[in-house]
Amino acid sequence: MRSRRDFLKSTVLGTGALSLTPFFNTFGATPQESGFPKRFVFIRKSNGERPNEVALPGLTAKEKALEDKKLPFEVDLRDRELPFYLRALDKHKDNLCILQGLSCMMSENGHYSFSSIMGAYKSNRNSLSGIKRATIDFELAKLFPSPFGHVELSLTGNYSAFRSGIVSGYSASGPHQRNYCYADPQTAFNELFGAVTDPGMVGTDNAMFKFLESEESFKAGVLEGYEKLKLSNHIDSLESTVARNVKLSQMAGSIAKHIPQIGKIHAAGGLNASYPEKQEAMTEILIAALVTGLTNVVTYTIDELSTPVRGLPGNEGDLISIHSIGHGGGYSGVSSDKIRENIRIGQIKQVARIVEGLKAMPEGKGTMFDNTMILYFPEGGETHHGWGFEAPYVILAGNNCKLDVAGRYFRVPYHATEGHKTIGNWYTTLLNAHGNPIKHYGDLDLEMSRKKLAQTGFIREFMA
Amino acid sequence: MSLTAAYFPAGSTRRMAIRVIFILVTLFESLPAEPERFKVDPKIANILSSYCTDCHEEGTEKGKLRLDQLEALPLDSLLEVMNRMHERVHFEEMPPKKEDQPTEDERKQLENWLAEVLHANHASKLEEKLRMPEYGNKVDHEKLFSGSYRNLPGHTPDRRWLISEFIFNAKFNRILDFKMQTTIDGKSQSVVGSTNRSVNLTNPFLLPTHSGVRYYDTATLESGHLLTMHTNAKQASAYLIKKRNGLPVTAAILAAQFEHERILATRESHLRTNIEELLRDLFKEKHEGMRPAFVPTQRSPIEPPDKNFDVRRPANEEIDKIITTVRKHAKDGLDREKLILLCEEEWFYHGVSERVIMIRVTWLRGYLEEAMRRWKVSPVKSPSPTPSDLDAIRTGLLKHRQHGDTYAAIISKCMAEWSDELRRERERTVIPDETFAKLIDELFIRIMEREPTPKEKSDYIALTKDYLLKLGNELTVDRLFQTLILRSEFVYRQEFGEGEADEHGRKMLSPRDASYALAYALTDSSPDKELQEAARNGKLVTREDYRREVERMLKVQSQYYLIDEAVGADSLTNIPIRKLRFFREFFGYPAMLPIFKDNKRFGGDYGRTFTRFVTEADMLVEFILKQDRNVFERLLTTEEFYVFHSGDNTAMAASSGLIQEIHGYFKDEDWRNFNDDDLKAHIPFLKEHPMPGLNLDAIGKVGGRSNQLKIFKDMMTNYSERLGSGLAVTAPFSTVFGVANAAQTRTGAKLGGAEVAKSFNLDLKSWNYPTSQPARMEHRRGILTHPAWLIAFAANTQTDPVRRGKWIREKLLAGSIPDVPVTVDAVIPEDHHQTLRQRLEKKTEAEYCWQCHVYMNPLGTTFEMYDDFGRYRIEEFLEHPDNLVRKMPDKGSPQDDLRDLYKTLPVNATGHLEGTGDPELDGDVRDAIDLVERLGKSSKVRQSIIRHAFRYFMGRNEVLSDSKTLIDADQAYLQSGGSFDAVIVSLLTSDSFIYRKPAN
Repeated sequence: MRSRRDFLKSTVLGTGALSLTPFFNTFGATPQESGFPKRFVFIRKSNGERPNEVALPGLTAKEKALEDKKLPFEVDLRDRELPFYLRALDKHKDNLCILQGLSCMMSENGHYSFSSIMGAYKSNRNSLSGIKRATIDFELAKLFPSPFGHVELSLTGNYSAFRSGIVSGYSASGPHQRNYCYADPQTAFNELFGAVTDPGMVGTDNAMFKFLESEESFKAGVLEGYEKLKLSNHIDSLESTVARNVKLSQMAGSIAKHIPQIGKIHAAGGLNASYPEKQEAMTEILIAALVTGLTNVVTYTIDELSTPVRGLPGNEGDLISIHSIGHGGGYSGVSSDKIRENIRIGQIKQVARIVEGLKAMPEGKGTMFDNTMILYFPEGGETHHGWGFEAPYVILAGNNCKLDVAGRYFRVPYHATEGHKTIGNWYTTLLNAHGNPIKHYGDLDLEMSRKKLAQTGFIREFMA
Repeated sequence: MSLTAAYFPAGSTRRMAIRVIFILVTLFESLPAEPERFKVDPKIANILSSYCTDCHEEGTEKGKLRLDQLEALPLDSLLEVMNRMHERVHFEEMPPKKEDQPTEDERKQLENWLAEVLHANHASKLEEKLRMPEYGNKVDHEKLFSGSYRNLPGHTPDRRWLISEFIFNAKFNRILDFKMQTTIDGKSQSVVGSTNRSVNLTNPFLLPTHSGVRYYDTATLESGHLLTMHTNAKQASAYLIKKRNGLPVTAAILAAQFEHERILATRESHLRTNIEELLRDLFKEKHEGMRPAFVPTQRSPIEPPDKNFDVRRPANEEIDKIITTVRKHAKDGLDREKLILLCEEEWFYHGVSERVIMIRVTWLRGYLEEAMRRWKVSPVKSPSPTPSDLDAIRTGLLKHRQHGDTYAAIISKCMAEWSDELRRERERTVIPDETFAKLIDELFIRIMEREPTPKEKSDYIALTKDYLLKLGNELTVDRLFQTLILRSEFVYRQEFGEGEADEHGRKMLSPRDASYALAYALTDSSPDKELQEAARNGKLVTREDYRREVERMLKVQSQYYLIDEAVGADSLTNIPIRKLRFFREFFGYPAMLPIFKDNKRFGGDYGRTFTRFVTEADMLVEFILKQDRNVFERLLTTEEFYVFHSGDNTAMAASSGLIQEIHGYFKDEDWRNFNDDDLKAHIPFLKEHPMPGLNLDAIGKVGGRSNQLKIFKDMMTNYSERLGSGLAVTAPFSTVFGVANAAQTRTGAKLGGAEVAKSFNLDLKSWNYPTSQPARMEHRRGILTHPAWLIAFAANTQTDPVRRGKWIREKLLAGSIPDVPVTVDAVIPEDHHQTLRQRLEKKTEAEYCWQCHVYMNPLGTTFEMYDDFGRYRIEEFLEHPDNLVRKMPDKGSPQDDLRDLYKTLPVNATGHLEGTGDPELDGDVRDAIDLVERLGKSSKVRQSIIRHAFRYFMGRNEVLSDSKTLIDADQAYLQSGGSFDAVIVSLLTSDSFIYRKPAN
């Protein structure tokens, strides 16, 4: 059973926000050697990511042959031209890694992967019972505790309108635990920075908890034994929540310095905001959440098949369905492939903005980005109806990153061949490098199992 | 370390005294003087010396435990050792059976002494452990059913019981008034248990996933629960305030607030529509000069050449706004670009964001004419402002408009002022205490399902006033909702005794608590009307009252329940859900759902099949429960199963019959050479006998995959393959891509997953389909041979005899198996020249392993007659690339077996049964079928299931004082011809259920 002290140790921010992360537990977190936590940003995109579009355009004939045959090789990408959609990262090639050939057959794939792409399991559509374990982002968040523990953002919708408010997320804090997420910038802003923008609400929260505490204490006074313990736990939880709010007030000053400005168009869910406007606002919030130290791990669903894309450069007049372009439908004379590329360009611009925002923040002898990794990846493999043979990852890694990935274009052996790596190996690598000694994270690939190919453990080539 | 709390018994035997003196001397020499020292009671020392220390002393210590130097141990270590001793002595695990045993009195003395010392130091762990599910079987089975303890008075402690994930859903569905109707067998039916409500809630009370009883009264609310519940409370509260269904007092208190919101909405709407005219009227010639300087937006570089208006259009509301503006500015002869610029300018003055203007302008450049021609603007019903509203609007505009303001900025300033004014007006309104009292009543009834006590009422009125000072009416009501949802009473079930205690100090459950206890025993919902009335009217105070209500509830079949959302919307039952759920959880077959299996090894599309396995296992359990005869035996040994069946025999016969009729009609025709016209000639027949997937209106009109003639021929080809070779009846499935199966589920959805037949070794092509099910299946006996159970107790790529054996030992034979020691690498080694059984035996044959595996392997290996998909087999594939005999295609139709073929070795499914206590049943067994048939005849198995049923309905482990309850339930089962309803009635009318005593 967790003690009150443990509880206080694990969380220090307001209930409205923290309650979004059920059962988040930061026990066992190890102190950071550098004094600075590592940060992780997971950016999920829909509609797949085609490996040939992520491939470097200037590969030599020999490299191209390997790429086309999906054979393993690597090149230093720092002196290479990047694919067109990644050009916004030109300035950050030293931190960039393109990881090709990872498979994700053990996750859901197809149109949607739900939480499975980050948990390496089949999620049985989106059922709670299908959530088999804490997703990789939550596992990392346990290693780098923070007031919020973990923040999830999403820009999703119902094809014609964006979702807004607090809705079900895709990350999981543990088996059968579906996370909440903030579905629009204003809600994210309110929930994350509410302690500063609305301190009165925190005060009345405390009044409520204190009332409940006195009420439960009265009941507990007439009980004995195990029954007393049950109410005593209830009271402890209430007390802890109040104490945490006090800590929140103490942090308010430093949070206030970094609060982003959110346009009025985002008020009340921002139903009239265009997709680029939403992206920009979410990016600012994401950066601020990391800079203020409210969280060290953010998962951001930057689009989903149902996200209504309005205002895309080149198709400003169209309401684009990502699902439709996945099936080859063009808009206003612009081909689906070009629209897909334009969407990725817009998203990579946001990735670059996050890199630059963190590089602008000093930390130790460097910047906050030095301790940050950003992972941009498809939720469902290689294409619109992904199978999971390949899931390309675009990775930005700071200088103090514990993995040797920066500057590398790296293609692992193809699925179900000797030496192949899965997302399970990749996530194991992330965990092992950051202090979780797990032997293998995630379910095994069944074709690899059938062929009796080794498939557990970290990716040796990336261990620094 | 202080020893002041330790226990100091008196007296000593000579041997022990010498040892103690030695230890004390040693201690006194080595430690500073302390006031008191721990001593072993001499009587106890004698017992230890006689039965324990021969093994647990220097040089011979077993389990690295020495009991000859207890007094020398530091307190922490001492208490740890004593806790271990306490557990072993209590469960009679020590001394080992082959050694001399203490008398019952000696054992009792030792146990009492250990308990006293541990309690005195607040360190006893046994009581807490005894509450845990994994300790359920530790209570001696023979003692429980021997009858020697049936005179002990049974009771359950007064308790709070944390709500389950299911009760959480039911509570919120009730509070939020969320109800679901589903068409079942053609009728609209009420279904409870869905979470598909419009409010996002996270369920913090999820139960563990192991098989067996999952819902115990031991869980307590932790911080994580509270935090999640706080978010849930906020979401639910916001929804309730918005809807206000059935909350008249809440609605009355918030009436002013909603009226003010209406006023604000009216003014805002009027301003948005008319602000330009209003400003022009108020500011006259100054108006245009006060507008912000217009800056046209950047043009998109791409001219949209495609004019497919229907595909490209924005949302309707947005087009309405665009076209309204265009029509306002359109004049004959006005240049197109000029018109668009005028619109843009207006939007700019209104403060529309640059990006939205850009989107609108780009769209207009592509679709202006078409939009003007085709689009009908939906009329906007704007509320009419009153004269006082108009005055306020004019005053506000004059007051707030500044040079360069956009219209949106002006509106925003006006709205802020009015909102503030109206809020102050509300704050001046005094709400009388009586109204608050009614509000508290209303919220208590909605959330707690009862009126508040006088103390609660006065406390909550005071709290309401406090909230009002800080928050205003709406937020106060919101906060009150939240407060009630966060009370312990909401998240815990209350089960307390009331009234006069009997001679044993027991009280009967209070009628209200009894009504909930009974309701939650059989359903997840609050008491129904009859139970509520019984509780209110003093008709829930005798055992007979309980019996009447339980028997009534067990008969109800008018309510449908969603069994498992993970299985799908067709996972439904109309027997009380907790009756079915007991066996579902006891057998644990739903655990197959998250097990990821390889399509290739399955030989088909496992992904479309796996939920069907669980559904059909549920249907089988429901079928047997509805018949309610020899329930346990039939669950364990039935030869009849559902395989690709909806549960509706008539409908399945019709679906299958349709195929026969179509085949019979066309079989003598030259259908292979039909052209479109030939097929059209048979439209009258096909209208009466609709062939799945065939669209009669599209014959001859569409090509490719939708070519109807091709679909017809493909379907007929497959029908002929199946029925042309003399098969009488075929399963109603389709092999044609894109064509759904002929059969439907009971909710009218297409019945999928025909490939479940593969796990029953049925060849879909030649399967003489039994339309009436459950039907006899070869090589199967009961749930333990159902593919769902076999997959649930298997790994991804191989069987799992150890887990299967462990399940039987613990669930059916009332045995206990220790957890795998942390030092053990519990992995079966790879060797592609041996069967899994051979490899397992090699791994577990060492004495250290076998001391536990002897209780599991001989049971679990009998199931090696099935593979990890549940297929019966006599040969085991040695699945390894080196052993590949034949590579099979990777794709095919449902009726094809796509498994690769490997070298094989014969399966050895023999085993050994020990532990039924019946020499007629114990002994070597031929295979799993032999095993389950013996288990089905065993009294101990029957009693073990009853013990689990006890835990399920009581939420706790049984103890010796529950002996009568268990024996009565067993007898009820036997005397009723194997009725599970009789077991439930017996348990829910037992002393163990009815009587409560204060918890220790």
